[in-house]
Amino acid sequence: MNPNPENELAALVDRELKALPPLPAPSSLAPRILAAIAAHAEAPWYRRPWETWTLPLQGASLAVLLALFGTLCFGGWRFSQSEAVVATAGKASGVLSVFELMFRILGVLRDAGVQVIQHIGSGYLIGFAVMALMAYAVCLALGSACVRFAYARR
Amino acid sequence: MSDAPQFEAFLRQHQNLVFSTAMRLLANRAEAEDVTQEVFLKAYARFGELETSPTAAGWLRTVARNLSLNHLTRYRSRWTFFSEILAGRGEEEGEGTVDFAAPENTEEQLASTDRRAFVEQALEKLPAAQRVPLVLYHLEDQSYEAIAAQLGVSLGKVKTDIFRGREALRKKLAAVKETELGIVA
Repeated sequence: MNPNPENELAALVDRELKALPPLPAPSSLAPRILAAIAAHAEAPWYRRPWETWTLPLQGASLAVLLALFGTLCFGGWRFSQSEAVVATAGKASGVLSVFELMFRILGVLRDAGVQVIQHIGSGYLIGFAVMALMAYAVCLALGSACVRFAYARR
Repeated sequence: MSDAPQFEAFLRQHQNLVFSTAMRLLANRAEAEDVTQEVFLKAYARFGELETSPTAAGWLRTVARNLSLNHLTRYRSRWTFFSEILAGRGEEEGEGTVDFAAPENTEEQLASTDRRAFVEQALEKLPAAQRVPLVLYHLEDQSYEAIAAQLGVSLGKVKTDIFRGREALRKKLAAVKETELGIVA
């Protein structure tokens, strides 16, 4: 009579698994790894991961990046202050007013649509929805039939 | 590669350990070889520290485990899907309860080499959902909580999967024992 089969089982499995010796790696594995390391080592420094670069190179690359970032920020700020940009911004606001007009027209059309929907009643809306669903189902069925026909084994 | 001979010796010393860890988690030779290669590429990048470190084997084992788990997670949806189908099938087959002999008796029945090879094969054939937590628990000495966190599953699922994995192994071992007895008789 086993007083606690679960613990007994756990102990048995633990013993069996821990008794397993390491699996022998295939003989081709070590040469393959050494070849991969050699290929890795032969790659030029700029194609290797940044962490593997020498300290001066890492420092220099960081300095270059910081300088680029600083130049970009400063250039952007100076550019935004120039007269040409201010004049262009004024012209652009004229172009943007066209978009504003378009949004207003769309708003009016939306309101008109809402009024129409409120007047035609829910019966028509349900009818339209059913028709749309049916049209979708028909398209799906036709598409499936076409695909089956096209890929049918001859 | 100035320290090539030292690294080659290091590689040959530890390759079985790394390969075993990956192989038992992945149960796929090609994938285990890929993971082993990846582990040693990382080891090469840190060979300066690892060469003299007494914990190098532990480091290699941890990296092999993490890379293997990453590999499994990468194909997670497929893995979970298929493993659960297979687990379900195993349950449906529902082999009746088999009394397993006391370990001492079973050990007497099987030559230890054959037995180990059999256990290895049985482990490899377990569905991933059972094999991975079982290996992490018994071979990698991870706690249930750590396994649940690493696999991103609930604690209950980990316990259930480990229990099912043990049961499956027990049944396979019992089956072998019965076969051996049949041959002897």
